[in-house]
Amino acid sequence: MNSFVTLSDVKKIYQMGEVKIAAADGISFGIEKGEFAVVVGPSGAGKTTVLNILGGMDTATSGEVWVDGIEITGYSNRQLTAYRRDDIGFVFQFYNLIPNLTAKENVELALQICKDPLDAKKVLEEVGLGERLDNFPAQLSGGEQQRVSIARALAKNPKLLLCDEPTGALDYNTGKSILKLLQDTCRKKGMTVVLITHNSAIAPMADKVIKVKNGKVASLVTNDNPVPVETIEW
Amino acid sequence: MKKRAVRKDFYMEIKKSMGRFLSIFFIVALGVAFFSGIRVSEPDMRLTADAYFDNYHLMDIKVQGTLGITEDDVTALKRMEQVAYAEPGYSVDVLLTDADESQHVVHVESILRDMNEIIVQEGRRPEKEGECIVDVDLLESTGYKIGDVITLESGNEEELQDTLKTTQFQIVGAGSSPVYVSLGRGTSLIGTGEVSGFAAILPDNFALDVYTEAYVQIEGAKDKVAFTQGYTSLIDEMVRQIEEIKDFRCKKRYDDIKEEAESKLDDAKADLADGRKKIEDARKELIDGKDEIEKAKQELEDGKRESEEALNAALLEIKDGERKIRDAKNQVASGWEQLEIGKQTLAKNETQLEAGEAQYKEGVTQLEAGREELRQKEEEYLAQAEAAKIALEEGKQELEAGLAPIKEKLEVLALEIEQLKAEGKLEEAAMQQAVYDGMAEQVGAAEAAYEAERQKVEQGLLEGASQIEAAKEALEEHAEQLEKVRQQLEAGKEEIAKGKDELQTNKNDLMAAEDEIRKNESKLAKGRMDYEAGKKEAEAKLADGEQKIKEGEEELEDGERELKKGEEELKEGEQKVADAEAEIAKIEMPKWYVQDRDSLPEHSSFGENADRMKAIGQVFPVLFFLVAALISLTTMTRMVEEQRTHIGTMKALGYGKWTIAGKYLKYAFLATVGGSILGGLIGEKVISYIIIIAYRIIYPHMNTMEIPYQAGYILQAGLAALACTMFATVLACYKELAAQPAVLMRPPAPKQGKRIFMERILFIWNHLSFIWKSTIRNLFRYKKRFFMTVFGIGGCMALMIVGFGLKDSIFDVGQLQYKEIQLYDATIYLRDDISAKEEEAMFAAIHREQGIKEYSRGLVKSIEGSEKKGAKDKEEFYLYVYENMEQLEDFQVFRNRVSHELYELTDDGVILTEKMAKNLNAKKGDRIWLTLDGSETEVTVTDICENYMSHYVYMTPKFYETLYGEKPEYNSVAFKMKEYDEGELYELGKTLLKEKGVLNVSYTSSVKDKLDDMLKSLNLVIVVLIVSAGMLAFVVLYNLNNININERRRELATLKVLGFYDGEVGAYVYRENILLTLIGGLAGIVMGKLLHGFIIVTVEVEQVMFGRNVDLSSFLYSFAFTIGFTCFVNWIMYFKLKRINMVESLKSVE
Repeated sequence: MNSFVTLSDVKKIYQMGEVKIAAADGISFGIEKGEFAVVVGPSGAGKTTVLNILGGMDTATSGEVWVDGIEITGYSNRQLTAYRRDDIGFVFQFYNLIPNLTAKENVELALQICKDPLDAKKVLEEVGLGERLDNFPAQLSGGEQQRVSIARALAKNPKLLLCDEPTGALDYNTGKSILKLLQDTCRKKGMTVVLITHNSAIAPMADKVIKVKNGKVASLVTNDNPVPVETIEW
Repeated sequence: MKKRAVRKDFYMEIKKSMGRFLSIFFIVALGVAFFSGIRVSEPDMRLTADAYFDNYHLMDIKVQGTLGITEDDVTALKRMEQVAYAEPGYSVDVLLTDADESQHVVHVESILRDMNEIIVQEGRRPEKEGECIVDVDLLESTGYKIGDVITLESGNEEELQDTLKTTQFQIVGAGSSPVYVSLGRGTSLIGTGEVSGFAAILPDNFALDVYTEAYVQIEGAKDKVAFTQGYTSLIDEMVRQIEEIKDFRCKKRYDDIKEEAESKLDDAKADLADGRKKIEDARKELIDGKDEIEKAKQELEDGKRESEEALNAALLEIKDGERKIRDAKNQVASGWEQLEIGKQTLAKNETQLEAGEAQYKEGVTQLEAGREELRQKEEEYLAQAEAAKIALEEGKQELEAGLAPIKEKLEVLALEIEQLKAEGKLEEAAMQQAVYDGMAEQVGAAEAAYEAERQKVEQGLLEGASQIEAAKEALEEHAEQLEKVRQQLEAGKEEIAKGKDELQTNKNDLMAAEDEIRKNESKLAKGRMDYEAGKKEAEAKLADGEQKIKEGEEELEDGERELKKGEEELKEGEQKVADAEAEIAKIEMPKWYVQDRDSLPEHSSFGENADRMKAIGQVFPVLFFLVAALISLTTMTRMVEEQRTHIGTMKALGYGKWTIAGKYLKYAFLATVGGSILGGLIGEKVISYIIIIAYRIIYPHMNTMEIPYQAGYILQAGLAALACTMFATVLACYKELAAQPAVLMRPPAPKQGKRIFMERILFIWNHLSFIWKSTIRNLFRYKKRFFMTVFGIGGCMALMIVGFGLKDSIFDVGQLQYKEIQLYDATIYLRDDISAKEEEAMFAAIHREQGIKEYSRGLVKSIEGSEKKGAKDKEEFYLYVYENMEQLEDFQVFRNRVSHELYELTDDGVILTEKMAKNLNAKKGDRIWLTLDGSETEVTVTDICENYMSHYVYMTPKFYETLYGEKPEYNSVAFKMKEYDEGELYELGKTLLKEKGVLNVSYTSSVKDKLDDMLKSLNLVIVVLIVSAGMLAFVVLYNLNNININERRRELATLKVLGFYDGEVGAYVYRENILLTLIGGLAGIVMGKLLHGFIIVTVEVEQVMFGRNVDLSSFLYSFAFTIGFTCFVNWIMYFKLKRINMVESLKSVE
């Protein structure tokens, strides 16, 4: 219970007419600071629900969520927004860039609202987009867009980087390079990264692999020797 | 069955996107409602007016004749083929002075049987002579009540009695007439020149020989709608036909009058001839008369002498008789005196006798009374005597009874004594003797007492008897004396009777004598009377004769005088005949004025108002509708675009194009058709209702309301809306359906972000925050949406500006025209045939008026103009020539409408009013052709001036003279007051109207008021426009925002995930909205100004130019409303933003 991120018996139950559907049915796990955690599971297992709750986009029906020693389940909407604003970096499957802002501006957009931002240009250079600062999303490839998305998340200097299938819309190689970027970020900056994927093949690169099935944690494996992304094939 | 899923999907779609469905529904409803409502208002106004006119049988044509209308004229009208009714009537304008001493001109008219029905508002219609029903408005302005009696006065020198049988009428009701559709009652030649109201009376109240007018209703005119081409052309045709018979009728009337006059003239001539002959006769008679008088005088002298002689003889005889009578009368008088003395003596004797008789009678009564007394006394005495005797007897017996024992005792005693004596007991005996003696004494005393008593009684009785006897004797003596008196009285009586007889005979004798005298007297009187009569007769005869002679002489003189007079008269008569002949020659051919309803006061203004409504309906709703159509079109396009994946899926599943497109088409169809029907149904009723109610302000008596549904307008608008949305939907679907399903399943290639122009201006750009940058890029990136929004908002704003602007431009017209351009207070219009003398008198009157500051004669005349020489279609307007050029600026301001630069009227050319200049396509310095009285001349337009009511061309008198070779014949006088005071002005006008040469006085203020009144009703129309535009603006803004948000849910959700607060997310959207609104507003200002300029020209009727100005306040109001709506919509949107789920951001792009 002393982990950096702790979920304990988190339940999310949707009332659909007379039927109750539990998207998350008592999920508990902990992630240490600087860990690269992967949540894997088939579609509908409850991965996204976990991510939503962890990212402050949704609230759990019951259970507790601790992030850096703070309990967030009881947060009001406004507190949740502030939480998202200051503590969470989010990487979407479909990048969700603002189409009429350039790469730099997209990053800056996020920086505008947070307390302790990094330099946009520097972050973009770090993610390998030093040359494309002034390009609009439509002028960038999918991988590049995702890099912008990651840069946007990182520039906020969050406590937690949440990635929702970041490679889902990308081809194999690009996906791999994105994963590498994330892994490097985790290693180099000590960023806590939670990655959600249905692709269990990438589990070996993680410090911690949380398998979710039917809204429950099926297994929680700590990988003492995570491998670099380059060595993984799927 | 087959496509149940599709159908279900369709219904679910509607349910899910109720907001969108309803927004299309309501936008279309609003557009159609407004379009059809405003459009239908114009025919509805006409229908309403038509129903009102038909209900109250308003005449179609009115025929007035300068010499009246005869029965024959009416019959001729009736006989015309298409005439349904023709009815003659009377009317006259009179003056009515109300309690406040203010004078009103009242149009008194006869009540028609079939036409122009008076609508009774209160009370009843007149039923007999001397009753009237009065204009309800007049009643209000004069303060009279039903039941009051009003006295009408003539407004000119003619006696009102010549026209009306009575001038006093009792008000029995108040009403309105379809003839007077608005507030104006027309003009008059009397009083202030403006009719205040009508009063309707029975035709019998009029005393005129001929009717003053005839009213005609045309067959089939009721079926036509008033103020439409159908009606107008029917009536125009009939007016033409009546004009055809008019010449004949006028000729007939002329002939009749002439014939009558001529026959009268002939009569007069015959009379004149008679007169001449009579004068001749009279002259002859006069000469005869003189002779006769001479003869009569001679006869009179003879007669006088004869009669005098006879009379003198008679007089002597009479006098003799009179003396004789006098003597006889004296004798009779002394006889009467003696008789009177005898009578008096006799009367004295008679009184004495009567006194004696009375004494005698008294004596007799006394005697009688004495006798009675005596008898009573005798009886009394006898009774007393008897009683005394009885008493005596009783006493005696008593005594004896009492004495007896004593005597016995005495005897005893005596015996005893005797015995004693005898016995010797002398003492005793002596004693006894003493007792005895005592006793014997007592007895003796008693007996002696008794005896004395008895003697006394007897003495008394004797005395009584002797008294009675004495009384008897006295009575007897008395009786004898009475007897003697009686005898004396008898003797006296006889003597008096004898005296009476004597007197009677004397009296009779005297009477006889008197009769005699009387007889003689009457004889004498008769004689005298005869004499007097004779004398009088003679005198009378004489006097008579003299009188007759005098009379004869006078007659003669009279005759001579008369003769002279007759001769004069004859001369006069001859003159008159000559005059009459001249006058007959001068009788003018009568004129008929055939007028249609447009001649009725303010009647045509209703048509103009309908035209104005039509003009508004032509433009305004179109734009309104365009905006609505555009928005629904955008919405549908967006919907299809949003459903890209859905379409792809359907397509991939193998559904046909039409099945897929059908959903959207049906969606659009349902929303549009539903909206159209609802909008049409509501709009056509509500909007036209409001507009007709609005027009009741100036047409207060129009109590009908005809607002039938006219499907045409709903169909027109509905089909157009349907076409728009369906076309947009088909187009959008076509684009999507053309693509492969695989393409559709993928997100659309994202729109390229582009640098915009502003980024190049680093100075500004670098100072903008990212959000502003994003916002601005956003605006330009989605050009279609940008354009749509700007056009939508701008359109609504433009509509509002037009609404407010119409108000500005229209309501300022009166103010501008009559306070800033035409500065005079009133215009006096002169009669065509005013004589120099009358004109002089009128100017004298003007000079007398202290209130008039200055005046100028003017020539106001209808003139035609054209761009080119001899053009067929000429514009008609007025020529205005002011005489007083020095003070022209006090009467008329020539200036540029925009710059207010003042122009000067010069002798080089004319100044033309603005709208006419436009109609003639004339600019400053151009030359135009003017046609006045058939002569066409070319003039230079030196300037074009601001003007709103009517059209004018102004020139100087000098220029007129050079143009037409003669001085202008001024026909009006414009004047200005020193200090404007309406009451004083009207008073002044009234005074001037009394002048013979004055036709009419027109007051600038009343023209202005009338104009203002008329335009007032536009106010509500404008409110309708503004409110509708506001509503549309709201719906448009809502819809656009809705689209905007729906389109960007993902983006907004992302922002939320990134940790933007709700307010910040809102601001992100609002910034764009506000910017769009501002840009739209600016565009709206431009569009509004342009549209306003366009609409105002369309709304103008021919004779009017409205202002072109839109006040700054109108822009501000419209802008404020638009911003207000935006804020309101944004506020509503805030809740929608809040509901956006962040999970959306995780979804794939649709």
